Amino acid sequence: MNTKDELLKILSLKLRTIMGKLTLEFDKLQEIRLRMNAPLLIIYGNKEAFITEDAKMVDNPSKAVLITKNEIRETMEYISNYSLYAFEEEIRQGFITINGGHRIGIAGKIIIEDDVIKGMKHISFINIRLAHQVKGCADPVLPYLINKQAFGIYHTLIISPPRCGKTTLLRDIIRQLSDGSQYQEGMSVGVVDERSEIGACYMGTPQNELGIRTDILDCCPKAKGMMMLIRSMSPQIIAVDEIGSKEDLDAIDYVIGCGCKLIATVHGNSLEDIRNKPTLSELVKKRLFERYVILSNVKGIGHLEEIYDTDGKRLYTTLK
Amino acid sequence: MNIMKIIGCILVIISSAGMGFYFSSEMKCRIEDLKELKKLIGLLRGDIRYANTPLPEAINSIHRRHSGNFQPFFNQVSMKLNELSGVTFSEIWKTAVQTQLVNTSLTKKDKLHLAGFGENLGYLDKDMQMNTIDLYIAQLEDEIKDLSKTVKEKAYLLNTLGIMTGIFITIIMI
Repeated sequence: MNTKDELLKILSLKLRTIMGKLTLEFDKLQEIRLRMNAPLLIIYGNKEAFITEDAKMVDNPSKAVLITKNEIRETMEYISNYSLYAFEEEIRQGFITINGGHRIGIAGKIIIEDDVIKGMKHISFINIRLAHQVKGCADPVLPYLINKQAFGIYHTLIISPPRCGKTTLLRDIIRQLSDGSQYQEGMSVGVVDERSEIGACYMGTPQNELGIRTDILDCCPKAKGMMMLIRSMSPQIIAVDEIGSKEDLDAIDYVIGCGCKLIATVHGNSLEDIRNKPTLSELVKKRLFERYVILSNVKGIGHLEEIYDTDGKRLYTTLK
Repeated sequence: MNIMKIIGCILVIISSAGMGFYFSSEMKCRIEDLKELKKLIGLLRGDIRYANTPLPEAINSIHRRHSGNFQPFFNQVSMKLNELSGVTFSEIWKTAVQTQLVNTSLTKKDKLHLAGFGENLGYLDKDMQMNTIDLYIAQLEDEIKDLSKTVKEKAYLLNTLGIMTGIFITIIMI
């Protein structure tokens, strides 16, 4: 099933008809925003556009079709496969992953019991983020991550601001390391996919290609997940997304101490930015990571800016 | 002519008795169908309770495991749910109740209850699903219990009535 079919099946009948008539490349469609009583909005080719009743993309929100309560309700019914009860855990986390690996973020009234989020009712806001795997985006990075002397890789930290493609890059690095490349043989990789973004598992099946030697712990807290993988799946490499807490750092110490190689991502603008953050600065001080990959979206999403080694020596740059 | 009359009388008695036996057999089949339905809804309950299985998958699982009179019903529901063709669950369920239960002995009242059960499935949280299913299973149990108490007498009555009606018509015709 292609992206368009996967997307249209989860929308209400009216929205399905409108989106089906849109003449655009669905592979470039990034987000669809459904907000109750607000105009239908999409992010296409990094630009915002409102959609009219006759399926045209416009800049003026007053001309766009308004999303009603019934459309949100009907869309949620299809997103949840007529079974909202089966997604209680996902709703508590605020997102549902559907067939194709697309993530549906949801917002509404939170139900709290004993200070714990029990669920969500009156879901009024839906953010459909379409998954696009970019195979080959790790090609420029991979040579710098391979440790030829040790027949392995370097512990790598990918530093990037939000929405700059760090998860997409991580995904392709995992895939190439797992399958093997011209630089190295295939290695077993364990992935702790806490927010189901890397593998985007749907009913237990990864919707993204992560390689033939990859094991995934889906929706598992990172710290516990790393320990579980080491104990049960014997990975040579462990990959995690968006580290930051104290527990994550303790688990990273453990992973590295066990002899596994680690690839992780973190929110940040630069190596200096990470040095200034209270918990993450410990990582840099302890010299745990051997490669730092810096991304930005200055020249488009996923733009590779610089690569540093453990001493802060610049190995690669596109900056003048 | 006398032989023709005798043959005619025998045919009338046989067909009338046959109708009596048919209705009594339908009554017994209805109880069996209700028991089978109760078992299948119990399977659905188990799938949802222990595995949190979404409805399309749970119903598909029942359809694959069951080969009796309800197979066309669960097959249609499973197929339509997987199409995600813009029809609500309760409409899919109701349409299947109306069109796919011809091979069963369920009465109009049974089908009405089954359609009503489908209106509340998939709605709200897991506790709601359990309550809905438990309530319907309790309804089925009550119905089976009431029918089982009186099935023997009613079957005997229908069989006897069939034969007696045949004899009565024969006497009138003669």
